[in-house]
Amino acid sequence: MDSKKNKGKGVFIISLLLTLIFIFWGVFFTDNLTKVTNLIYNGSIDYLGWVYLGATLFFVVFSIYLLFSKYGDIRLGKKTDRPDFNTASWLAMLFGAGMGIGIVYWSVAEPVTHYTSPPYGEPFTVDAANTAMKYTFFHWGLDPWAIYTVIGLALAFFQYNKKLPAAISSAFQPILGDRIYGPIGKTIDILSIFATVFGIATSLGLGAMQVTAGMHDIFGVPNELFVQLIVIAVATVLFITSINTGLEKGIQYLSNAAMILSFAIMLLILVVGPTMTIIKVFFNTTGIYISDFIHMSLRLRPFGEGEWIASWTLFYWAWWIAWAPFVGMFIARVSKGRTVREFVIGVLVVPTLGTCLWMSIFGGSALDIVQKTGNNDLAKNITENVSLSIFTFFDYLPLSSVLSILGFAVVAIYYITVADTATFVLGMLSEGGTLNPSNKIKMTWGVIQSALAAVLLLAGGLNVLQTASIAAALPFAIIMVIMCFSLLKGLKSEVEVQKGNKRSMHQS
Amino acid sequence: MKLYQVRKGQFVYYNNELHKVYGVKPIYKKSVHLIRLRDLTQDLTNAVSVERYKPKEFDSFIFNHKAYTLKKDRKAEEGDYILIHNPMPDSLDTYSLNEIEMVEEVDKHGVITSNSHGVKHNEYLLMVPGRATNCHPIDYQNTENVETQSIDDIGFNNFSNPNNELLPTIGDVYKMLESDTSFEAMVVATTNQTVILGSGLELTQEELMNKDKWEFLYNLLDK
Repeated sequence: MDSKKNKGKGVFIISLLLTLIFIFWGVFFTDNLTKVTNLIYNGSIDYLGWVYLGATLFFVVFSIYLLFSKYGDIRLGKKTDRPDFNTASWLAMLFGAGMGIGIVYWSVAEPVTHYTSPPYGEPFTVDAANTAMKYTFFHWGLDPWAIYTVIGLALAFFQYNKKLPAAISSAFQPILGDRIYGPIGKTIDILSIFATVFGIATSLGLGAMQVTAGMHDIFGVPNELFVQLIVIAVATVLFITSINTGLEKGIQYLSNAAMILSFAIMLLILVVGPTMTIIKVFFNTTGIYISDFIHMSLRLRPFGEGEWIASWTLFYWAWWIAWAPFVGMFIARVSKGRTVREFVIGVLVVPTLGTCLWMSIFGGSALDIVQKTGNNDLAKNITENVSLSIFTFFDYLPLSSVLSILGFAVVAIYYITVADTATFVLGMLSEGGTLNPSNKIKMTWGVIQSALAAVLLLAGGLNVLQTASIAAALPFAIIMVIMCFSLLKGLKSEVEVQKGNKRSMHQS
Repeated sequence: MKLYQVRKGQFVYYNNELHKVYGVKPIYKKSVHLIRLRDLTQDLTNAVSVERYKPKEFDSFIFNHKAYTLKKDRKAEEGDYILIHNPMPDSLDTYSLNEIEMVEEVDKHGVITSNSHGVKHNEYLLMVPGRATNCHPIDYQNTENVETQSIDDIGFNNFSNPNNELLPTIGDVYKMLESDTSFEAMVVATTNQTVILGSGLELTQEELMNKDKWEFLYNLLDK
């Protein structure tokens, strides 16, 4: 117990220092930060891009293996535990946590951007539209959810079945034993916090950009950096107030409201948008996504420029990995009582289908508008103002003002809920996996993550966010691969324990 | 009580007895799902048939056949039951109002329950086994209409059961303390107020539960 507490202290201080150094660097040596992150970014892409591709494909294969393996019947928790939530609420929560702001931010911008500058082939063509949808499915489909499956399952299994603290290092207990409480465990936890802070700062940065864009669209507020920084400041005050006044219950209600609103918007667009096209896009793209999956998963351009892959596929893989401890922790918390098989179906298969449906509705409708009107300027306008893209898209649909207001509400709510939940996760991770992180530590992380989002925006907006998250997530990608083997070892021992139990029951 | 006021977790009186709402399903005619605290049997009813009760310190009630008194003057320890009466769950917590959970670990900020919840010290009331002397029994809304026999059945007089059980039950083995010779006997029959021991000795429940005179050893069925 003492070792756990000491571990918590060290982890908190070192990870805080590392993040503060980064913020200091960003504020006072902005150009230097941009230069160095670019250097790391280019190095990661040129020399280590294959690590991301290989690791992520491995997670998909590993998750599918778990689905059909003999470990599928193992229950997360005691054998008598049953899920806290019914399946529909559980799936809705997973979907909201896993994608959140990103899905609103990119669902229009990404397909249209791929349409205007595709990974291969001619832009502004029917082929480009199909490729655009295919890659959108790819970036938001099985791969991110497989990353979440691996980390969520590992966290849940070691927390509930092995009764270990809610820390990433706990997932390495079968390999490291009690060394999870020593320097190796600390290093793992520090890296996971570092990756998480960057993943969350990236999302908060995107969120602030989109909240500002929404205010610009609805209220005419200028869409500029200064307003984005004000948005970050106001949100920080709001969620820090919630931490101190025990309004977390309210945050849960907000989170549920965001999910309900998201589904309402999705259904509304399905009805008022080009319904038949959306259905066709869903079926057609699902087909080409499945058939081209392996090619897309391993696609690098050894004899040419790999810029497209770097700025899209590798960015996403890094982003999902950086986002993984946070989402994994959430998924683990809501999945107690589920079996491994239920877990994999719920976290890998169903949300993938849901995301593909969402992307077909938003992306398919946007591409339909761009294609039908032959309006290449509209496409360019969307790609040049990514944070405004969803509002630009709403303008072309009936009930546009209702959709804009609903869309703005969803983004604003997601922003607050993500920031609030992130402080809790960072608190847990940096205090040795305790389920009672102190308010002081939660508030510290709240301020830090907002400051980091602000610094990254100041340093150069989205590009620096992308480079920073790729750099921060790389070591964690390797940690996650090792985590799979550790999980397998843990599951194997659990099967033996359960077999042993049965035997002793029969004998008695 | 109007439906929108009925929430999951609330303590309510239904048929004059203390229940907990474990679910509200508004589209059904019998929309309120209840669980009776004393024996965990389930009931279905509607919002107008229940009346809310907010548990507070020194309230005592039977939960799953055992009596407890709510206290907040001491922190929970490992193995204690807590009633989460002031839930302020963090974003990832899944507990809600009036959940009864067992404590697995205690730290300076709060407790961690066997259900993997981190609960702060100001969020719960400790459920101390037995009925404290100055407690306020809340098992019935209106005790005037309840027959004395029924009140006794749920242990209103049970202040000092050595095994935290409600009353002596068949199979309990007791040892007489104030006796020159060793005397042990098992409870073989009980009536409303009377307990009959294996030797044919008849005595009241209160007499048998007097710690100075009798010591509870074990229950035959637990062995």
